Amino acid sequence: MKKLTKDDLQAIKQEELKKETANWIKVGLSTCGIAAGAQDIYDFLVEEVKKRNLGVSIQRCGCAGMCYAEPLIEVKVEGMPKVFYGKVNKETAMKIVEKHIGGKILVNDHIYDIRSSQ
Amino acid sequence: MVNAVINGIPVKVEEGTTILDAAKTVQVQIPTLCKHEDLPPSAACGICVVKIKGNNKMLRACCTPVEEGMDIITNDPEIVDVRRTVIELILSNHPNDCLTCGRNNDCELQTLMANFGIQEEFFDKFVKKTPKDSSTGTVVLEPEKCIKCGRCVEVCQDVQDVWALSFLERGFKTRISPAGDINLADSPCVRCGQCSAHCPTGAIVEYDHTAKVWRELMDPEKYCVVQIAPAVRVSIGEAFGYPPGTNMTKKLYSLLRRLGFKAVFDTNFGADVTIMEEATEFVERFVHKKGALPLITTCCPAWVDFMEKFHSDMIDHFSSCKSPQQIVGALSKTYFAQDKKIEPDKIVMVSIMPCTAKKYEIKRDEEMFASGQQDIDIVLTTRELARMIKQAGIDMTQLPDEEADHVMGDYTGGATIFGATGGVMEAALRTAYFLVTENNLEKVEFENVRGLKGVKETSIMIGEFEIKLAIAHGLSNVEYVLNKVRKAKEKGEPLPYHFIEVMACPGGCIGGGGQPYMVKDSVRIARTKGLYADDEKSKIRCSHDNPFVQKLYNEFLGKPLGKKSHELLHTEYKGRPQYRK
Amino acid sequence: MQQKRILIKDTDLKKDRTRDFYTAFLTEIQDKKLEEKVQLVRVSDIGIYGKGLTVRVLPENFLYCDVETGDISRIVSESVVEGRPIEALLHKPDDKQLRLVLRNCGLVDPESIDDYIKHDGYQAIATILEKMTPEKVIEEMKISELRGRGGAGFPTWLKWKLTRAVEADQKYVICNGDEGDPGAYMDRSVLEGDPHSVIEGMMIAAYVIGATKGFFYIRAEYPLAIERVNRAVTQAHEYGLLGENILGSSFKLDIEIRLGAGAFVCGEETALISSVEGKRGYPRPRPPYPSVKGLWGKPTVINNVETLANIPLIMLKGGKWFSSIGTEKSKGSKVFALTGKVKNSGLIEVPMGTTLKEIVFEIGGGGIAGKKVKAVQTGGPSGGVIPEDFINAPVGYESLQKLGSIMGSGGMIVMNEDDCMVDIAKFYLRFCVDESCGKCAPCRIGGTQLLHLLEKISEGKGEIEDLDRLRRISRAMQKAALCGLGQTAPNPVLSTLRYFEDEYKAHIVEKKCPAGRCAGLFHFSIIEEKCKRCGLCFRNCPVQAVSGNRDQGYLIFEEKCINCGRCFEVCKFEAVSRG
Repeated sequence: MKKLTKDDLQAIKQEELKKETANWIKVGLSTCGIAAGAQDIYDFLVEEVKKRNLGVSIQRCGCAGMCYAEPLIEVKVEGMPKVFYGKVNKETAMKIVEKHIGGKILVNDHIYDIRSSQ
Repeated sequence: MVNAVINGIPVKVEEGTTILDAAKTVQVQIPTLCKHEDLPPSAACGICVVKIKGNNKMLRACCTPVEEGMDIITNDPEIVDVRRTVIELILSNHPNDCLTCGRNNDCELQTLMANFGIQEEFFDKFVKKTPKDSSTGTVVLEPEKCIKCGRCVEVCQDVQDVWALSFLERGFKTRISPAGDINLADSPCVRCGQCSAHCPTGAIVEYDHTAKVWRELMDPEKYCVVQIAPAVRVSIGEAFGYPPGTNMTKKLYSLLRRLGFKAVFDTNFGADVTIMEEATEFVERFVHKKGALPLITTCCPAWVDFMEKFHSDMIDHFSSCKSPQQIVGALSKTYFAQDKKIEPDKIVMVSIMPCTAKKYEIKRDEEMFASGQQDIDIVLTTRELARMIKQAGIDMTQLPDEEADHVMGDYTGGATIFGATGGVMEAALRTAYFLVTENNLEKVEFENVRGLKGVKETSIMIGEFEIKLAIAHGLSNVEYVLNKVRKAKEKGEPLPYHFIEVMACPGGCIGGGGQPYMVKDSVRIARTKGLYADDEKSKIRCSHDNPFVQKLYNEFLGKPLGKKSHELLHTEYKGRPQYRK
Repeated sequence: MQQKRILIKDTDLKKDRTRDFYTAFLTEIQDKKLEEKVQLVRVSDIGIYGKGLTVRVLPENFLYCDVETGDISRIVSESVVEGRPIEALLHKPDDKQLRLVLRNCGLVDPESIDDYIKHDGYQAIATILEKMTPEKVIEEMKISELRGRGGAGFPTWLKWKLTRAVEADQKYVICNGDEGDPGAYMDRSVLEGDPHSVIEGMMIAAYVIGATKGFFYIRAEYPLAIERVNRAVTQAHEYGLLGENILGSSFKLDIEIRLGAGAFVCGEETALISSVEGKRGYPRPRPPYPSVKGLWGKPTVINNVETLANIPLIMLKGGKWFSSIGTEKSKGSKVFALTGKVKNSGLIEVPMGTTLKEIVFEIGGGGIAGKKVKAVQTGGPSGGVIPEDFINAPVGYESLQKLGSIMGSGGMIVMNEDDCMVDIAKFYLRFCVDESCGKCAPCRIGGTQLLHLLEKISEGKGEIEDLDRLRRISRAMQKAALCGLGQTAPNPVLSTLRYFEDEYKAHIVEKKCPAGRCAGLFHFSIIEEKCKRCGLCFRNCPVQAVSGNRDQGYLIFEEKCINCGRCFEVCKFEAVSRG
């Protein structure tokens, strides 16, 4: 690959911004998350989204800080506030897929810290 | 130059001078347990702390350079309290067996305790019994007496490049040991004993053979003979209050007789014989192209061991000639025994050496049994002899001068300088010159081979030949010299040297591992001076002119490198593993 | 009407009340026939603590605290239906956190360099290479007043300037990722969550000092961090952001990763250098400082992960912006790993000057199980314990030092009445004793002796003179230990002695452990009057120290008891006494 110039950096940035999707889920995959089972949740979500053809991109990210609530995922789909779900097990993940993404209904008892909904 | 103030006294010192050294210039001795003048500061003990006005911290004097305008305080109640606490902490981790310790009365820790007037133990004692390691028969490790100053590790790894000793484990469990927790004898240790010479406590001491010598001396069946090495004569006096370098040769002769030795020889005689053989060997190789060049000296057993373990590709370059100690040993049980009509197996040959490796050399391999017996029976270091003298209750200072016994007591100036780095080279050149030109040198001194520089490179003319020389001392200096040879050989270039002298210990034997403690460069220089003074005042300066050496060849050996010489005075080398299973 | 959402949370954590509240809201919604248009959601954590029933109305984002049942109707009709705020109940959300170092953590994909670039990654170094001299960068760093985040707080610009000033054929930059304080994981999270920002920080440091080689020193216990950094370095090499002629300039830099074997002392910079060189991780005396003689004797800058992660941001937003955050002497933000007896343990980042109280109560949600917070420990084993009396202290290098602790690398452990201060001191000291490299006598022996004394005290065998001994050894260690580890190891002892001497004395004089932690100083017995003879203690005792039966009652045999406290915990009638 050729060496980047400053312009190339800008080009990559624009390209990446263009690729941004309206619907995504970020799964915290740092040690704290993985130790709490986040990798399974990530795999599960990838699988479910594919199976149901939901058009949601499942992304990997680092620790958002709320280690007490791991596995922690951030969900943004159109028409819904952006929220963090914490202590997500497969059952909750399923609810998130079915209710939050499918039914546009927030899932009870797993929302953590609302700061990103603003 | 930087200006500073120490305890209110202005000092002006060179940039980079540590506070510890600067303080000495104004007669302030800052106590330390780990700093040794030979070694870079390890900063381990924490006793040399001082204060700088305006700085809340205490700094270590051993490793803090004086800075312009520093206002240094080396003593105040707080500093003393910290030092005292640290010393008490060290005491809480040190056994109280001073009375039965190899360093009793000559121990840096003991002195410090006494100076600080520590008369009771403030903290609970934590000393873990650990086994001694006396496997080498030369130095003894007693890890429980170790204060972890790191001097031995530093000297073993960085000065000697042997890497036999290291620290194992960490924290409170830290201890000195060969890597892998094996016996020292199975490690790369070359027995140079520099660790014992630098240890501030009794954690590493020479293997004590004095009791064995007393036993032999008391045995009416035995005929005890003794030899003293060149470097011993200028250092033993230090144990009796003489300044370093004082030549005690003649007092030593009378002393040894009083201890009960029936014949007193001088290793210097052996040195003259070594030169006869080695100089001839050099001329054979250099002029007559018989054998590999450069020729490398082999008088130093730690160097021989080091070479066999680390540089065995150089074996061809090694002089096959034995060391002076072994030559006197082999001759006492043959030449002397025949002359005096004594059964060789009745003779007990004791040698007084500045060296712990000599204790190893006497059994290095079967060629050390050339007389049919073990040629040397017991080796004592300078430190052990000093102890024997004190035990015997002999007032060393008042002893009369005496002469050594013939035929192995008379020596030349060339022999006595064997004890200093460059000395073997210089003595060999004096004789080689004669062998090539059949004339003696007008000026026998070779100033370029002398001095404490780690590697000395020079060349001289013998007749039409230019001979290139290298002298290395301190084993870490060897690699540079040998690599230069290797590189030239590999590339087919002209040899960088024709003759190389190596001594394991910095300064040569005068700085040997068995010498009195607290050796440092100023002491090395003083001892060396003592030897060169001995050379200068000698009537005969060249080994081949020693009439008793000539007599030896005429009556007994025949000619240098002859058949008898080969039987008695030469040896072989072989590669040895660095680690023995 | 747009879809509305009502989020509710009882921030006092009273379960029954939450249920009633939820039902009341639901009834109200049903009564007003709004089920289709309004969604009621119970949330787990609303980011506010101890403020009663809290309600958030979306999408307007009205936040109401201390809501009473009587307010429900109004909230639904005015805020939900009409979209008007109720001023009297309105709560201004006040986010105490400021995520600078953690700006990308939880946001970017740490395994994608493109994602980092998308979030302005490598813009700082690109701008610098285009138009800033090293001196100019140092100038900007000086304005920012950034200080080292590893703990000592040395001005970063000065470290760079000193290293730049030394002439040498080779210089190095090292990222110190040997995070080792118990309970602290700030650096791990940054390396795992945003490795490229650290690489970019290293590039800037290297450019400034004139280094062409960089090392990441990461402890081997951080496999994921190593993997992510490794990938990030490879990606940066592939993009030509590392290597020769970076971004078309003459600047070159290679970065390698070195793994630390997990010795705490290797976080000390001279020991770290020995370790990178492949030697035993022993500290060396300073001077010479690494800026003059560092790795392989060459001038070397060692910066901590968090310090480096700050740098691209400072260069993008300007030193002035950075120095506008924080206190007079401590600028910017600090990441803390908030753990211990606190409700929300996790990684937080706050502006310097935030008080401990704000951190523990407003971010951490306060103590667990309704127990009173007794102290906050900062600075890990080198730090100290700050008692609750000083909980209004702001975080900053000097402010915490004044209290006998240090800011350190960012460990923050909350303690409550169940924590015994002798036990805490013992815990930290044991850590330092285990981690002491053993080189210098004050630390090697002093630490062991201190630990021995603390053990004596916690076993009830202490004498009052031992307090003197503790102080004396501590002083000698502070003054005469070779490196930071030994010099600061007595801090937990000294700070607990300073604030909780009474607890020590209780152990020594009364032979009692007020917190009930020191196993040797209390025993369990059954209070006959309270005992209902349920037998729970009998069944739960792991060593059969409880004997008896339901008819005759139960007794605890002290000889058999191991003081595990199981009986005390399981008893529902407070019939087991500890004392």
